[in-house]
Amino acid sequence: MSLQRLILNLHHFWADQGCYLAPTYDLEVGAGTMTPDTFFRVLGPRPWRTAYVQPARRPTDGRYGENPNRVQKHHQYQVIIKPSPADIQSVYIESLRACGIDLRDHDLRFDEDDWESPTIGAWGVGWQVMLDGLEVSQFTYFQQAGGLEVSPIPVEITYGLERLEMFIEGKDDIYDLQWSDDVTYRDLRLAEEQQFSDYNFNRATVKSLRDQFALAEKEAQMLIEKRLPLPAYDQCLKCSHSFNLLDARGAISVTERVKMIAQIRTLVAQVARAFTAPEPGTEGAA
Amino acid sequence: MEFLLEINVEEMPLAHVRSALSDMSEKLKKEAASARISCERLRSYSTTRRLILTADLDPGQADRDELITGPPKAAAFAADGSPTPAALGFARSKGVDVSVLQVITTEKGEYVGVRKAVKGRRTSDLLGEILPTIITSLSFPKPMRWGTGSLRFSRPIRGLLCLLGGEIVPFSLDGIASGNRTTGHKLHAPETIEVRSFEEYRSRLSELHVMVDAEERKASILSQIAALVTPLKAEMYPDPALLDKLANDVESPFVVMGSFPDSFLQLPLEVLSTAMREGQKLFSVVKGGKQLPMFLGVADVVADARGFIRTGHERVLKARLADARFFWEQDLKTGFQKSAPRLKQVLFQEKLGSYDDKAKRLEKLTAYLCGKIENCKKAAELRQAASLCKVDLVTDMVREFPSLQGTMGGLYAKAEGLPQPVVRAIAEHYLPAGADDPSPASLEGAILSLADRIDSIVGVVGVGVQTSGSSDPFGLRRNALGVCKIILDKKLSLPFNRLLEKSIAFHGDKLKLPKAEILDRLREFFSGRLRYLLEREGIRYDLINAALAAGLDNPYHAALRARALDALKDGPQFEPMILMAKRVNHILAGQTTPAVNPSYFVEKAERELSATSGIIVDNVAPMIAKGDFLQAQKIVFRLQPILNVFFESVMVMAEEAKLRKNRLALLQAIRKTMLQIADYAQVVVEGEKGSK
Repeated sequence: MSLQRLILNLHHFWADQGCYLAPTYDLEVGAGTMTPDTFFRVLGPRPWRTAYVQPARRPTDGRYGENPNRVQKHHQYQVIIKPSPADIQSVYIESLRACGIDLRDHDLRFDEDDWESPTIGAWGVGWQVMLDGLEVSQFTYFQQAGGLEVSPIPVEITYGLERLEMFIEGKDDIYDLQWSDDVTYRDLRLAEEQQFSDYNFNRATVKSLRDQFALAEKEAQMLIEKRLPLPAYDQCLKCSHSFNLLDARGAISVTERVKMIAQIRTLVAQVARAFTAPEPGTEGAA
Repeated sequence: MEFLLEINVEEMPLAHVRSALSDMSEKLKKEAASARISCERLRSYSTTRRLILTADLDPGQADRDELITGPPKAAAFAADGSPTPAALGFARSKGVDVSVLQVITTEKGEYVGVRKAVKGRRTSDLLGEILPTIITSLSFPKPMRWGTGSLRFSRPIRGLLCLLGGEIVPFSLDGIASGNRTTGHKLHAPETIEVRSFEEYRSRLSELHVMVDAEERKASILSQIAALVTPLKAEMYPDPALLDKLANDVESPFVVMGSFPDSFLQLPLEVLSTAMREGQKLFSVVKGGKQLPMFLGVADVVADARGFIRTGHERVLKARLADARFFWEQDLKTGFQKSAPRLKQVLFQEKLGSYDDKAKRLEKLTAYLCGKIENCKKAAELRQAASLCKVDLVTDMVREFPSLQGTMGGLYAKAEGLPQPVVRAIAEHYLPAGADDPSPASLEGAILSLADRIDSIVGVVGVGVQTSGSSDPFGLRRNALGVCKIILDKKLSLPFNRLLEKSIAFHGDKLKLPKAEILDRLREFFSGRLRYLLEREGIRYDLINAALAAGLDNPYHAALRARALDALKDGPQFEPMILMAKRVNHILAGQTTPAVNPSYFVEKAERELSATSGIIVDNVAPMIAKGDFLQAQKIVFRLQPILNVFFESVMVMAEEAKLRKNRLALLQAIRKTMLQIADYAQVVVEGEKGSK
């Protein structure tokens, strides 16, 4: 079964669970958690169900296409359900069966692994889901986002699509995966991994990245003042990606790293507050 | 009557399971006792998905008479003996006729009252109230909420089974009602069953692939492992922590054995076993002390009939080991010593700078320590180890497997041919990891570990980071424990205050708190850890207090003083000496004393006391200096009879101020000597116990 068939199976499954299938977000993010479809929807009281595919960019994980497991861009299948239903574990297990995995022959384990993202001020309690020793998903009950307690509690399920597909196809090398019946992961992604690794580690202009960070930060501050949290958050994501590239370039000093993470976290917390507490007279956003 | 409780949860970590079981057992015992219900044969079982308690409880409380006190007798009856409205009202409120009221004599006087038979409540009803309170009162390090509920628990609660004598004990918790149902293995037998007793619960679940007893699961894992490795004349490399975790994490333990390519055996043993343990929770297999290219894993299944689980682990492990080999080769190519400048890029603490700054401070602090420790002969090697001990933090291997810090430094230092003392000091400088972990074997390792920990504690406290029971991000308490343990294990007699001051000085202008305040906080910190270690040796808390009150400047000597008190505490001279010290303390309370003036002595007994105590002080001083506190105390104990004679024959509080002050001054001098050994007045003697 190909990777795109896996995505289709997951889409069908979660659509049947009442999820809104969100389009992939059009900015660079480090994880599906960071897109507005998760970040804003977990805040506030309104119930929400969504599922989507999100490419996740982690510049430091690039290996020039030479490592069978590590890539600077991989794909996550992200599910958010708020409030978390009582039978969510069984539903998740059912979703694996829907992907064609016969669990009677395998060892499925929920292994303690709490999750935390200092940049977006979020943490949760949960597990990494291991299938015969391979981590295929992260399963998390959010407790906080943007520095705010969340209520009701959303559950986040993040499938690592390449990992899961490697399990399904029984392959050792990510580039051997079938994206469709005719197209391999190598066809689609090898050149990208080679070029972006070179860009991330060697070519990105440090000065431009610093400028981009500073400009996005300024823009975010302006937008927060104007009480426009949605576009302000986009600017936070731009800060975060510039930061990740600077990190891959080895351009961030000790004290700078702490400072930059704190800068992003402060902005994101302001965005979260602006989003959840609109001024009197305006319509509640959440 | 048999009681059975099962709390069905999503996968809980082992530490939470352990604390929840012990807290629930304690609380149930306590609640049963206060409800006057006997609670026998209390046992607890668990899996990562179930918390289970069972016990024999009385079916109900016994009926009893209760005496209800009403108004005072004087207010209840008029002068002619007829009941007042107060008495009538009281009788009515208790539903009895006024004629049955009786007079009760209490400490406060005479009252009227009524004796009523109170029917005992049924245990089932009581449990319905007690259990929700117990369950919601359990505390966890990082409790969570889920769904729309407000309950906080370790992980979401998904079901409650509660029976007494086979009948459901009804209660509910955050919308979950108790019942008599549970389910089998999540994947391999997800059926719901109804049970009436623990025996039925246990045996039905066992049919549904759930072993409820962790000890039984552990035994099963070990016997399956033995069956696999014995034919190979090999054994599992023991890893008790991993075994406990796995026995918790599975309901149906099934051991799989797999292999990896021989070529990975070139990797150091520590790297192989860490890659297996941390990534995939696998045991290593060894034969005659050598690693075999095999692993043992524990799956939560009934069987691996098609070999998928084994091959799955083999595939993941191979990728992991390939990564590890890549890191190993890469790190060797980059060069260990050559990587030292990269420490400038690694932050130790925001206000304390990088690990490069730390390494520079460690070079100075180890040099100072080496100068203070008599048999420290390897100053140059120690300095090199200090400058390199943190370099492995920038290696790819440690970034991947942080628990290999120190170990990798040692391996890379060895690979580059550095002298053995350097290699050992680097490899050992994170030891001991806890109170039960061994201290570094080499003196150089011990000194480097001391310096590293003291530097961290002084720095982090000095910049004003607050630590508490739940928040100790830099592991300061663990570090302080390590310092005390090394000092005791290595018998290091050190000028501790001076050492702390040196470390403060080496931090330059980075520390924000004033020196005196830092030292105050540190003393409290270290005395707490030292106390803990001494209590673990079985020494009474009051003896420890007495020994530590005599000063902390030399923690090793403080420990020796406590041990000496402990050794002498049952001797015939001990209690009289303590009582005498308390008497001296008492008489000196609030007194200011001048220097002793021998020309003011008038009584024979005070001259004798002065002369003998002078000799004793002279004899004790060298004993204290060399740390022989057993001998020092034995000498001091000789003061007791002389002091006794003194108190019997001399009127200390003489009317003439000159004589009085001089006698007090003599006692003060003696007290000062005793205080160098112990503050005896802090020792609790028979008859005083319980008052503290």
